[in-house]
Order: sequence, then structure tokens, then C-alpha cells
Amino acid sequence: MRKYQNIVDRLIPIVFILAILILWQLVVDLGWVERYVLPSPMDIIKALVENWSEIMMHTGVTFFEGMVGLVVAISLSLLMAIAMDQYPMVKKAVYPVLVMSQTVPIIVIAPLLAMWFGFGIAPKIFVVVLVCFFPITVNLIEGLQSVDGELINLTRSMGASKRQIFTKIKFPSALPYFFSGLKIAVTYSIMGAVIGEWLGGKAGLGVYMLRARHAFALDLVFASILVIVILSIGLFYGIAMIQRALMPWERLKEEEG
Amino acid sequence: MNTCQNKPVLKVEQVTKEYNHKNIIEGIDLYLNQGEFVTILGPSGCGKSTLFNVIAGLLTPETGKIFVNDAEVTGRTGIVSYMYQKDLLLPWRTVVDNGILPLEIRGIKKKEAREKVREMLPVFELESDGDKYPNQLSGGMKQRVSLLRTYMFSKEIMLLDEPFGGLDAITRLKMQEYLMAILKKIKGSVLFITHDIDEAIFLSDRIYVINGSPAHIVEEFKVPQKHKETQAALVSSELSQLRRDILKRL
Ligand SMILES: Nc1ncnc2c1ncn2[C@@H]1O[C@H](COP(=O)(O)OP(=O)(O)OP(=O)(O)O)[C@@H](O)[C@H]1O
Ligand SMILES: [Mg+2]
Repeated sequence: MRKYQNIVDRLIPIVFILAILILWQLVVDLGWVERYVLPSPMDIIKALVENWSEIMMHTGVTFFEGMVGLVVAISLSLLMAIAMDQYPMVKKAVYPVLVMSQTVPIIVIAPLLAMWFGFGIAPKIFVVVLVCFFPITVNLIEGLQSVDGELINLTRSMGASKRQIFTKIKFPSALPYFFSGLKIAVTYSIMGAVIGEWLGGKAGLGVYMLRARHAFALDLVFASILVIVILSIGLFYGIAMIQRALMPWERLKEEEG
Repeated sequence: MNTCQNKPVLKVEQVTKEYNHKNIIEGIDLYLNQGEFVTILGPSGCGKSTLFNVIAGLLTPETGKIFVNDAEVTGRTGIVSYMYQKDLLLPWRTVVDNGILPLEIRGIKKKEAREKVREMLPVFELESDGDKYPNQLSGGMKQRVSLLRTYMFSKEIMLLDEPFGGLDAITRLKMQEYLMAILKKIKGSVLFITHDIDEAIFLSDRIYVINGSPAHIVEEFKVPQKHKETQAALVSSELSQLRRDILKRL
């Protein structure tokens, strides 16, 4: 019975998305919307297949920027979260600034980055770092600070150093939080790279979409969007899988509960 | 325990601790002999855990001193072992790996530490649970693992702060007998906190009743050993007299 419920739960979103796609296809095929305004799903697939190698080349560039940015963001987040956790002064000073920084629209910052760093790969990676850093850091710091005080006292009573408390207790406790942040960040990473590319550059899906839009090739724009969506979802589930592999005890809880 | 040698392993002298300029515990004097089981019995919130935190070195007392084997250790951690009411097991570690935590902190290699813990699993009646994760265990089992971890740190002086307080009544009785059986085997010295009189009488060689505000030791009771084989013996007339005497001081 529960298994059946599970299958139904999984089918619901698939059926819903299929329904939308069919509706979309019909709307275009019946001529209610012009093809050059809104290409149909089939048009998009066709454009994707026909321009496969070119789109994949640009995807590769975007993917690379996204992943480099993500790795840089993870490293910075770790440093920042550790500093904020170990020195309350740092947290008091930096945390509000972090929140404020999130209220500045990326679209406004991105052109400045292009101005400062040129049209190479650096400003794109910078945008990715900007959008990924915040969710990882905020989740990680919350995880580090929500560790049971008695558990820390217990470990302290065993004579543990600050460093041991961090590596053996706090960091592993914070891992689920870290992964929550990482799952958000990874979906932002591709989007961040695309935003960076949107302002100009030599390659990448953002650049490609810009060119396609100028040529009124909306099917190619949508094909690129499709690639971005699939890539982002794939990365999301990739991280979720890594999390399950690294944290088998969480799975045990799910199975029991 | 029947085999007390009269050599104090732990001495607490005139300890006073305050929070926000208000004394919580005042002038606490007590001792714990090698192999002895001593209970600190007192009402909820009177300052028993505060006293333990001082003994464990987590808090520094305003006045007073802690001695372990005649050496002063006031404010020093890493000397006595400590067990809480919450099991505080690490959910990401198996039973064995939870057990090695104190050894790891002391710098012992994981492999060697695991061997040491595995050797002790049968003593703690955990031989078939070594590779389980805490969330696969019942509350009573978790406290066994927590006790194992406490023992792995040290059996010389074990502070047990209401270790069975979170368990249901039946599991609690079972855990009391379990603890007695384990202590017969490992011969540790225990300082125990509870606010349950029967638990205190069943387990202890001596009982300090702590009460008042600020809390201080109001009386010390010796528990006669001869009737204490099972919990059923708690109804014997001698023990029920003791029970009444203790109740008067709470
Ligand atoms: N960190 C703290 N700051 C201020 N007051 C505290 C702190 N910790 C404990 N207290 C106070 O000290 C008193 C004694 O607390 P303690 O936890 O030692 O009592 P207890 O006897 O262990 O109680 P219980 O039986 O509920 O465990 C309480 O009134 C509590 O409010
Ligand atoms: Mg307490």
C-alpha cells in the first residue's frame, strides 16, 4: 500500500509536466500563438538535435565556469563558516554584510564585473561564486551552531581540543545542513554562469542564447534553456546522491521512520 | 560494591559555584572511594549537574578545590568520565565508532581503539550491535552504548548524571540491574546523580542528600548492603526506614 502510494507520488509531477507540454504543443500547432513568438516543444527538440554539437560546446564552457565557481564558493564558505563559528566577533561583523550583499541584484553587479575583469572567464566565475557562496555559508554556519551544547561539553570533558571538537563533532553534525546549502547552490551555479555570459564573451550558453535571440532563433533560445534546466536538475540529484552515499545513517532513519 | 578499599579517588572540598552573582551550590564537601558507588540525591533544579560540571572541569568553582588521587585538578578537563541523561551518541558513527571517541581524542589510532572497544562489547551486552547506527537502537540500548563510551574514557571516576532519567519505568529498572552487573565486572568508581530515592538506595553504597538554595549537602547516608540483591529487597524494613529518613531531608 505504501509502495503504491510512493509510485503515485512520483508519477504526479511527471503527469503534470506532460500535460503542460501537450497543451503547449497544441496551442502552437493549432495556431493560437505564432511559431516565431513561441516555438513548440517539438520545434525545440528538433533545434536541439540539429545544433547538438554547437550547443554542447557552449554547455561545456558554462558547465566548467559553474563548477569552478562552485568549488571556489565551497572553499570560501568553509573558511568563512569556520571563522564565524570559532570567533563570534567575526560572525557579528560579517553576517549582516552577507545578508545585505544578497539584496543587491546580480544583474546590476555583473556588468561591473565585466568592466573590472574584462570579457574573459573570470567575471563569469565571479558571478557563480557570488550566487553560490551565500546559501552554502548560511546553511553551514547554522549547522555548526545548532550542535547540542551538552554534546560539546561532553567532548570537552574528555579533554578534546577546539580543533578536535570541530573535526569530530561540529563539522559532521553540520554535514546535512551543508548539503542543503550545496543543493541550492548547485542549481544556482549554472544560472550564475549564464548570467555572467549574458553580458558578453566568447562562448557559453549565455553568449549562445544572446546570439540566437539577436537572430530571432527562439527555438535555439528555448533549446538552451532546456539544456540549462536539465543540467541544473542533474547536478541537484548528483549532489543528493553524493549526500546519500556519504551519510548512510540518514538513509537508515528514513527507512525506519 | 562490597569490596571498597578506603582510599578516596575523588575529593571535593568546599566547592561553591555561582551564576549571575547568586550561589547555586555552596560549601560542597564529598569524597568517593575506590570501587565505591556514591549517589547525589536532590530535587530537580537544585544544582546537581552544576556540581558535576565543576568536578568534570567544565566549570571553574568560585571557591573550593577538586582532588583526584590527592592531586589538585580544579578546572581541568580530561580526567573524569561523564555520562548524561541524553545519550549524545553521534548518529553518523556506529556503536563501535561511538565507543572509540574518547580514545581518539586521546590520540590512540582508530584501528587499535576499535579493537579495544570490540573487546568490551560482550561485557556491555552489545556483542551483536557493534556495527549498528544509534538510530537503529532502542533508548535503553543507546544508554548502554553511552555507558560503554563513558567506560572507554575511564572507569576510575565515572560521573553519571541521571543516566536513566529519560527511560520508561520498566527499562529503567532493567538498566539499574544492568549497571550493577557491569560494575561488578569492571570495578569502577561511580558518582551518580538521581532524584529517585529507590534508584539511589538500590544502587548506592552511600548517598549524599543535597538540597536548599544555595544547595548544600544536608546529610550523608550509608546503605546497608545485605538486602540489596534485587529491587524486591527494597521493601525490607531496614531499607524502608532509610527511605523514610531520606525523604525527610528532601
Ligand atoms: N549556564 C547557566 N547560567 C545561569 N544559570 C544556570 C546555568 N545552568 C544552570 N543554571 C541554574 O542553576 C540551577 C541548577 O541547575 P542544575 O542543572 O545544576 O540543576 P540540577 O540539579 O542538575 O537539575 P535537574 O535535576 O533538573 O537536572 C538551576 O536553577 C538553573 O536554572
Ligand atoms: Mg541536571
